[in-house]
Amino acid sequence: MNHSAPDASYWSAQMAAVSVQRDRASFMRIYDHFAPRLQRYLRNLGVAESIADELVQEALLTLWRKAAMFDPARASLATWLYRVARNLYIDHVRREPHWLPIQEGLDRLDHLESGRLDSQPESSFDQDLLKQAIDHLPPVQAKLVRMCYLESKSHSEIARELDMPLGSVKSSLRRSFAKLQGSMRAPR
Amino acid sequence: MKPNRHLDDATLLSYSAGALPAALAVVASAHLERCTTCRERLLDADRIGGVLVQQQRVDVPADDARAAMLALLDAEPAEALPPAPAEIIEERNPDRLPSALHPWFGPSMRALRWRRVAPGVQRIRASGIAGGDLMLLRIAPGSKLPLHSHGGSELTMILDGAYDDLLGHFGPGDVADLDGETLHQPVTSPGVPCICVAATDAPLVFSSWMARTLQPLFGF
Repeated sequence: MNHSAPDASYWSAQMAAVSVQRDRASFMRIYDHFAPRLQRYLRNLGVAESIADELVQEALLTLWRKAAMFDPARASLATWLYRVARNLYIDHVRREPHWLPIQEGLDRLDHLESGRLDSQPESSFDQDLLKQAIDHLPPVQAKLVRMCYLESKSHSEIARELDMPLGSVKSSLRRSFAKLQGSMRAPR
Repeated sequence: MKPNRHLDDATLLSYSAGALPAALAVVASAHLERCTTCRERLLDADRIGGVLVQQQRVDVPADDARAAMLALLDAEPAEALPPAPAEIIEERNPDRLPSALHPWFGPSMRALRWRRVAPGVQRIRASGIAGGDLMLLRIAPGSKLPLHSHGGSELTMILDGAYDDLLGHFGPGDVADLDGETLHQPVTSPGVPCICVAATDAPLVFSSWMARTLQPLFGF
């Protein structure tokens, strides 16, 4: 592919083909793009290579099985797969046995209520603005956000590692979230 | 009744990242179950995670990994949408604790076996939780707790009854999301006992000698 990166609506179309036609070519397009990224994500969290491989396969198999549950109006494929991989990490690696059932319960609540909530459907436009906003975070905020998401460090771990007061870690994360959330809510 | 007091942005971000200490995550999950506002905010936080994972530079998958993946598909049937469990649709049963608390305290508020730890204060402590301390507290109506702050983070959700402190009024479903600097002295409302679930990732610090002598009683 020599043109720009595929957007959220491209991935939604691939998911529709997987869900309705059980289309393997579409599934492998999703695999080729997302599997190495999920693999990198898990490796950065300190997961051993062989376990990361297994969890990536498990995440993609979940996608194959539960494709009918994917709702593009609710979340993009990137968001959906992030949740799946994060949940597998907490379940298998952090060994918190109650996390998965609780997340499944919250998912079902969202499904039930998605008709009643005035949630904004994710579009490629939103995602592009969010990407730009992430790229424009001040260096300290960008570092804290990455330590949080990509290294799964708690507030106190971040505070210790960077020798920052806990309150400053939290307020910096708060400011980052407000900025990033604002970018998703920008008027079109 | 919709909660009025919500999870802090920094707490939500950590929850989304899988980086919240386990005890705090239990209380956050219990609140999320009853709060559509925070579930919407959590989706925003998950969107950030999705983009960060996408932005990483990677290589294309190896041929043997692709072949292994394709081979696995044959054994996997498609799943239909599961029906929503009745417990979620049914009108909220006031005796039912949030699902996130069931593994630690069981499903029923009435069935709880309280232990008195100080005059007017009863407690049940979750055992075996890694990453912090998790407990239910039942405080008699109209009681004043000792002035205290927290060494780390504290997350408290009201399950029944209410209390007031310098941050305002907290009723059922509300969470108080406090960091180490907050010094507070909750006063429970008259009428029914205030039942709440509290999680900390570090011990409480009481500010007076009187309160410090109470500390072992609370066992925080």
